[in-house]
Amino acid sequence: MFLTRSEYDRGVNTFSPEGRLFQVEYAIEAIKLGSTTVGIRTPEGVVLAVEKRVQSPLLESSSIEKIMEIDTHLGCAMSGLTADARTMIDHARVTAQNHAFTYDEKIKVESVTQAVCDLALRFGESVHDEEAMMSRPFGVALLIAGVDELGPQLYHTDPSGTFMRYDAKAIGSGSEAAQSELQDKWHKQMTLLEAQKLTLRVLKQVMEEKLDHHNVQLAQACHTAERL
Amino acid sequence: MPDMTSLAHPQQRAFNPYTENGGTILAIAGADFSVIAGDTRQSEGYSIQTRYAPKVFRLTDRAVLAVNGFAADGNMFVKKVKQRLEWYRHAHAKDMPLRAIARLIQTMLYARRFFPYYVYNILGGIEEDGTGAVYSFDPVGSYEREACRAAGAAQSLVQPFLDNQIYFKNQVPAPGTSHPAHLPLPTVLSIVIDSFTSATERHIEVGDGLEIYIVLAKGRTLHGTESIGGMQELTTTDDGERVFVVRRDLKKD
Amino acid sequence: MSSPGFNFSNAVRNNFLQEKGIPLPKATSTGTTIVGCLFKDGIILGADTRATEGEIIADKNCEKIHYITESIRCCGAGTAADTEFTTASISSNMELHALSTGRAPRVVTAMTMLKQYLFQYQGHVGAALVLGGVDSTGPHLFTIHPHGSTDKLPYVTMGSGSLAAMAVFESSWKPNMERGEALALVSAAISAGIFNDLGSGSNVDACVITATQTEMLRNFVKPNERVEKERRYTFRRGTTAWKTENIRSLIVSEDITPVSAGGDAMDIS
Repeated sequence: MFLTRSEYDRGVNTFSPEGRLFQVEYAIEAIKLGSTTVGIRTPEGVVLAVEKRVQSPLLESSSIEKIMEIDTHLGCAMSGLTADARTMIDHARVTAQNHAFTYDEKIKVESVTQAVCDLALRFGESVHDEEAMMSRPFGVALLIAGVDELGPQLYHTDPSGTFMRYDAKAIGSGSEAAQSELQDKWHKQMTLLEAQKLTLRVLKQVMEEKLDHHNVQLAQACHTAERL
Repeated sequence: MPDMTSLAHPQQRAFNPYTENGGTILAIAGADFSVIAGDTRQSEGYSIQTRYAPKVFRLTDRAVLAVNGFAADGNMFVKKVKQRLEWYRHAHAKDMPLRAIARLIQTMLYARRFFPYYVYNILGGIEEDGTGAVYSFDPVGSYEREACRAAGAAQSLVQPFLDNQIYFKNQVPAPGTSHPAHLPLPTVLSIVIDSFTSATERHIEVGDGLEIYIVLAKGRTLHGTESIGGMQELTTTDDGERVFVVRRDLKKD
Repeated sequence: MSSPGFNFSNAVRNNFLQEKGIPLPKATSTGTTIVGCLFKDGIILGADTRATEGEIIADKNCEKIHYITESIRCCGAGTAADTEFTTASISSNMELHALSTGRAPRVVTAMTMLKQYLFQYQGHVGAALVLGGVDSTGPHLFTIHPHGSTDKLPYVTMGSGSLAAMAVFESSWKPNMERGEALALVSAAISAGIFNDLGSGSNVDACVITATQTEMLRNFVKPNERVEKERRYTFRRGTTAWKTENIRSLIVSEDITPVSAGGDAMDIS
């Protein structure tokens, strides 16, 4: 793709003659630089796990927060420009709270994912009289995990505003290896404990450093409540 | 020659955007059904505007809304609730559950806290857990789930009757027995019909026609009530909750 | 109280209470459709039978055609007490008038007495009346308004249903109708009020007055019979809760001792 690079790769609201939005594609590339993040869905709940890159021994690893709570039944793990994820998760939290306030029920995992993806597409030049939009696409992908009336679910979103449901998904720098490992090991009747072990095993395989309690973060969304 | 001194003083004008259009509504929840009813007379002062203006509306296969007070506000409110239900269906790929509709109605009413919809709402239907439910609202959105509620012109006539016949208020049970928590459908229908024929006898704004909506929980049958005259099924889906309407004449004087 | 007429001594107090937000008791009003109509042999009066207190129906079958004399009757609309009291009072005075003149009193006499009485009270006596009858000068039909103004017309309506009833008269009334035709017209006019005016309802009363006789047709048409209830609402004996029981004997027993017969008998001669 870099061969056809031209002036079309600058504007976020201009398609290339081949019908591509380069800035969005570059944003998706940015995620591949991010730390590895894994999500596994089981009938009992969903497990999320992320690698924390502790670049310096002076870094306080607990200050790296890559898994966040959206609502009591919804969790989210990220990879890429994690600062962008704050905006998205803020939006997801507001959406979930608004839904609970208006309808006295928990929002569905798909609905909150859709809301986040709607936000992901609001880049481009702001039009006169319209609220200022974002100047570029988000540079982050999310794994949104949650439990609703349809059971435990795992969704993946990317900067193009596309979202898909997965049984198991890996994103970030080690995602290719991790994803093939998940494909091998995931099975329908997995328990939560098996899923936890699998996420750690997958992360261990793709991480350069030795895995310990400082450089991974684990979360699960199950029927009772989410635990971090 | 006009009186110039009167023009010098500030003049006050008042416009009242609300009218009261009479009529009465009520709803009773059973164990696995809900009955929502209203008369069809719409009046203003001593005049009848129409003998058939529905006050009870099917929202979904499991929710029915009765609206009473200022008819223009009522009709607009129902229209907006239906629009929100449609949006919800598109956004979340399912029908809105009853308790969510109840909360939505509160949100919509309270949004107009300082220019309210001049209506009393009663929402009836089946909850997610299959139980019959009735929610009643005041014009600015205070709401509560109850077993029965009457509202409108003849509320003061009907509610005490319902308290006595549904909640068994002021009735001591026979020794060794207790009052039932829920009444069977045929009994509830009789009480609803008697409420309206009685309100028609003693209230000038109640009469002309009666519409009774019945919502049945999934898998429940009408058993014994099919024979009631003028009954019509309004259900739109198979194997879900079912909605019926019964239309009756009331006295027209 | 020595001076006759109304006592206004509480008016200032009542106005004060009303300003404080304490409403005056609501009077029973005959929301009402009343009519009168001239026909070949005399007059037919008509009335509905609903009495209301605000929006509540106080009486489903009240009588609104009041007796003045044998051949003069008066329909009343407005405050029930005012129409009943006023017509009863004028009825008494008409009887006294008949006694002192030795003649059958005329409709104009009743009309004059009513308007003078109502005018005296400047509209505070809320009686709107349809007065009709036959006397030595022929049939007469009047309306009398609460302030005392009167009209003499061949067909009249009053009360909250007056427009509905007048619509019927305006479409179908004609001079010199037969009794049956006129009675049907009056009945249709009252029915228009019963069904289209919320202040009127229940049954049609009619009164046919001719030179020879007066026929009071109470509940001439009953188009609004009460429907039967779906359930019986009787209560089991013992339904009402009670806290204490106290049974007292109301039988008084006394011993009577006859006084011995000895004294003189009373003189009853």
